[in-house]
Amino acid sequence: MTSKIINMVDRAKDAEDRLLESIFAAEPIADDGFSNRIVRRIRRQIWIRRLALPTAMLVGGVIAIKPALHLVTAGSRLLSAVPPELLTTPAGWVPQLPVMLLGGALLVIGMLGTRMID
Amino acid sequence: MDGDDQYLVARAVSAQDTAAFGELIRRHQSQIRNFLRKLTGDISFADDLAQDCFLHAWNKLQTFTGRGSFVGWLLKIAYTTFLQSKRKSKRYSEVLDSAGHAAVIEGRSYTNPKDEVHDLGKMLAVLTEEERAIMVMSYACGLSHREIGEATGQPVGTIKSMIYRGKEKIRTNFDIEDHKHG
Repeated sequence: MTSKIINMVDRAKDAEDRLLESIFAAEPIADDGFSNRIVRRIRRQIWIRRLALPTAMLVGGVIAIKPALHLVTAGSRLLSAVPPELLTTPAGWVPQLPVMLLGGALLVIGMLGTRMID
Repeated sequence: MDGDDQYLVARAVSAQDTAAFGELIRRHQSQIRNFLRKLTGDISFADDLAQDCFLHAWNKLQTFTGRGSFVGWLLKIAYTTFLQSKRKSKRYSEVLDSAGHAAVIEGRSYTNPKDEVHDLGKMLAVLTEEERAIMVMSYACGLSHREIGEATGQPVGTIKSMIYRGKEKIRTNFDIEDHKHG
């Protein structure tokens, strides 16, 4: 059936079409490392994409560390100015606060880790 | 590595398998590079475009639906890459200008010697860029009119009339009648 269709298509082509096909026909081009070069570029691209987020986090962390330390120092100075009975009260209101904070931090780290693996 | 194109595409997409994509490149690089070489008339420029084409293909591989042939889909990307680079690149217009001049100076003033018809470069130079792409897809790559329509974004009727026009121009400028029988 397929060969019949091919024959019909072939017959439908006139001599001029066949001549043009022979003129346009080209020798196959040897690969000569062409595909390997592209695959290497693709692998490099994949690695760059994978490294982009951790690198950005690292660079951002380095840039942000100094202002963050200033912020912590300023915060501790501010806390020293606050009466001690006011500071102990929130922990009393929410006894699970340290656990919640730890859980939150672990969640953020987990999400970032998952994204990096992905 | 065995397997048909669609299986290799599926592997490349699902597992980011670069080896599977490498096999696809090995299978089709010759056709894509030949297409771009005929389109640009410049071997190294065509090979640069072919590299870009395969990189684009990798990035959009998940959009290949498998309805048409994989090589048809690649040729579509190759043609788009060519058109985009043409807009950006000065180099292409220089290549095209020189090809056009060569056609005007040599091709059209020829008295049609018999072996002239084999100089495909000159023959392609008498066609417009779009006609050239369509003729190459049809006669060099063996794509059907429908596949060419999908690759170029033109209706099948337009493709047929452009091929007809292209053949007419070649007939007018070159002595291809003599070669029909010998």
